[in-house]
Amino acid sequence: MKNVDMQMHVRGTSQFVDDLAAPAGCLHAALVTSRVARGRIRSLDLAEVLAAPGVVAVYTHRDVPGLNEVGHVLRDQPLLAVDQVEYIGQPLALVVAESHQAAWQAAALGRADIEELPAVLDPREALAQGMIHGQKRILVSGDPDAAFQTCRHVVQGRLASGPQEHFYFETQRALAVPTEHDTIKVHASTQSPGAFHRHLAEVLGLPMHKVELDIRRLGGAFGGKESTAVWVVAPALAAFLLKRPVKLVLPRNHDIATSGKRHPYEYDYRIGLDEEGQILAYEVDLYQHAGACADISLAVLGRSFLHASGAYRIPNIRVRAVSCRTNIPPNNAFRGFGVPQGTFAIEAAVTHAAEVLGVPAAQLKRKNLAGDGDVLPFGMVLENTNSGRCWETLDARVDLAARHAAVAEYNRTHTDSKRGLAVVPVCFGISFAQTALNQAGALVNIFVDGSVEVSTGAVEMGQGVNTKIQLVAARTLGIAPDRVRVHTTNTSRVPNASPTSASTGADLNGMATKYACEDLLTRLRRFAGQHLGHDDPEQITIREGVVHLAGKPTELRWEKLVAAAQWARVDLSSHAFYATPNLHLDPKTERGRPFAYYSCGTSLTEVWLDCVRGTYRLESVEVVHDVGRSLSEVIDRGQVAGGVMQGIGWSTVEQLRYAPDGRVLTGANAYKIPDLKSLAPHFAVTLLENSQNPNAVCNSKAVGEPPLIHGLGAWFAILDALRSVRRDKDLPSLPLTPEKVFMYLHG
Amino acid sequence: MAHHKISVTVNGSVESVDVPSNMTLLTMLREKLGLTGTKNGCTAGECGACTVFLNGEPVNSCLVLAVECDGAEVRTVESLARNGQLDPIQQSVIDHNAVQCGFCTPGVLISARALLDRNPDPTEEEIRDALVGNLCRCTGYIRILDAVKDAARVGAAPGTGGSR
Repeated sequence: MKNVDMQMHVRGTSQFVDDLAAPAGCLHAALVTSRVARGRIRSLDLAEVLAAPGVVAVYTHRDVPGLNEVGHVLRDQPLLAVDQVEYIGQPLALVVAESHQAAWQAAALGRADIEELPAVLDPREALAQGMIHGQKRILVSGDPDAAFQTCRHVVQGRLASGPQEHFYFETQRALAVPTEHDTIKVHASTQSPGAFHRHLAEVLGLPMHKVELDIRRLGGAFGGKESTAVWVVAPALAAFLLKRPVKLVLPRNHDIATSGKRHPYEYDYRIGLDEEGQILAYEVDLYQHAGACADISLAVLGRSFLHASGAYRIPNIRVRAVSCRTNIPPNNAFRGFGVPQGTFAIEAAVTHAAEVLGVPAAQLKRKNLAGDGDVLPFGMVLENTNSGRCWETLDARVDLAARHAAVAEYNRTHTDSKRGLAVVPVCFGISFAQTALNQAGALVNIFVDGSVEVSTGAVEMGQGVNTKIQLVAARTLGIAPDRVRVHTTNTSRVPNASPTSASTGADLNGMATKYACEDLLTRLRRFAGQHLGHDDPEQITIREGVVHLAGKPTELRWEKLVAAAQWARVDLSSHAFYATPNLHLDPKTERGRPFAYYSCGTSLTEVWLDCVRGTYRLESVEVVHDVGRSLSEVIDRGQVAGGVMQGIGWSTVEQLRYAPDGRVLTGANAYKIPDLKSLAPHFAVTLLENSQNPNAVCNSKAVGEPPLIHGLGAWFAILDALRSVRRDKDLPSLPLTPEKVFMYLHG
Repeated sequence: MAHHKISVTVNGSVESVDVPSNMTLLTMLREKLGLTGTKNGCTAGECGACTVFLNGEPVNSCLVLAVECDGAEVRTVESLARNGQLDPIQQSVIDHNAVQCGFCTPGVLISARALLDRNPDPTEEEIRDALVGNLCRCTGYIRILDAVKDAARVGAAPGTGGSR
């Protein structure tokens, strides 16, 4: 089934936050932000701001009625700075004006007298100075020190991966409308209904039942709208203080300059193998470049940490991970949530080892591929991974040996250009690693005309979760999907909802929807039995909107059944709740089963490299991914293709630059995301056939994040081509922009 | 800021609009005329989400001043469907599921329509050239490419859509 919003999207009638008709008297908010990366605030001079045309009010931390705090996990992020600044772009004051333009022009006039302190912009330096968030984490499995002694080959190196800007098309925004009894309604572009609801209430000093957060759809999010609440809370604060509607729409360059990114990491790795290429030991240090506040960084770090072994069976391992506090805007969630970084390190280590052993990297990867029955470093036993089957399916489609031979032959006969390839296996744990977040509620209402309305905590951001939920409801109730409408995500209908993230939106909210529908179905079957003069509800089913008795259709249709049931005083509304069972992780021992299941796949990426100019082009991307029994193949294929392209962007062209003072230099004109010419001439997605998954709704598997990892294939394929030219250099960093490729070749 | 009274034909109807000198065509469409189908993605002419027809040519409406449009003819995504019937390119985008979040879609549709108007039978390379300024962060582009190819294949004259 198609995305339910598509008809509106092509007509231009779908509504995002900024498309809602502005309420009468609506004002616009903007932020005065710090131009200094680190320092003590002596004073703020906001007189010019207040005097600027159209300005209605200017607020500082002193005007916050509740808690001046929006830290997502730790309480370390003031909404408006108090006495110190920790990054360029940190909000100092809130400006409210008659128009968007007036507000942002006035905000630029804000001045702060700040005693500058030396900013720390390097994660290793931050660590050396003891500037870290939370605690270092260490995971040891087996005996790596002893194992390294027995290795025939030991390979080590240093690596780095860069930040990635989300570049969701709809920037951060919210519209806040004061309502009666000192309540407030906020329409926001956020993935986190429950957490942002709480942030709003805390900052306004209100009980949560006086705040209503409503979310229709997001113009993309990719993790960037999960944890940083500033841009939703700020307009609500202004609306609450002024008793007028206030909207904040972050201008693109302000969004790029002040919002969080995918975390840059630095890595030290060491890998040991035996004569046959079996990995015996692996050791990795992960230095996360987290930014000024903890935001959600420790959770991201945790996921890198738990995925340090990537898709491989590694009997002896030591992982050390630390979140380094640096003076850049706090980095946050981005599709993959630390797994791409953890995977990058082990993929690089295995690739480096293959070079030393003189064998194709794919050979080592296949040999060490983790599969069912293998134990992960934190003690979880893999099951139902289909990792080997994904690999074999890919091999059957592309003939890996032949592809390797073709690349080798090309490279033997060409000097000014080279080809390269990479096989990347993906193994991605599904569930929030924080067990408490694995819960969801759903409210399903059946109206007397037979129409059905579903509310959940899931946020539609283009990933098609509403369509999947609609399908689950229709399938469970035995009616056509067009009888079901998925309502906005609203904190008054479904409270305390977890963020729509960690690829779990459909898993959790779909299951809660299924339970609520099953509950309603039980009531309706019982009633239908009585209505038809038949006592055994087991004999009653509903199929295609018709009540069946003992498998045969009756005269009783859905809308008649529903109307009669309501008249007979049957409750046609149900709320249900789902909590993923059997999840646990002991933070002391770093052992447990934090994930419900794994999402696996394998891909082949091939590139062509111009050795003179340093330019390259992707020739072919072939992806095989396991999505279980897909809830919607159309949606899942789209998720795979889009995720892979984002991973390719991170690996190749997306480069964010900071000035020496910590300013982000790359605005919308300089930060490049993939365009239509980035699409490889051959790009194919295969969903693994005959896959079942008892651990998620309707046997499906989550699809949102894991495919992004396949995009790493672009980096490794370019590397493969580069290493066929010269190997007398260290591995370059990620992304491999044409500039870096040129410098590698000729520098 | 000086204001100007301009007359502009938007989606076939003549509008008299009072605009400040620095107002962009994009802002005028969205805020003065309530045509919110055209999206503001970057305000920098990079993403293409705000693409509209200006005198028959696709432009980034965030880079055009409203006062420049005095006497001009503008067409937005809202005008693509005629009498409720989708334009073939809109139908093809639906058929190919070439939409995820939907924010870039209006601009993609205008650029694709503009291409097919001037070149009903484009090669793949010509499609890539014509739409390279319309970024999409969700789909990975393959379905957008296929949708435009297919709209061309079935002979995508405007006004014949919705029949497939």
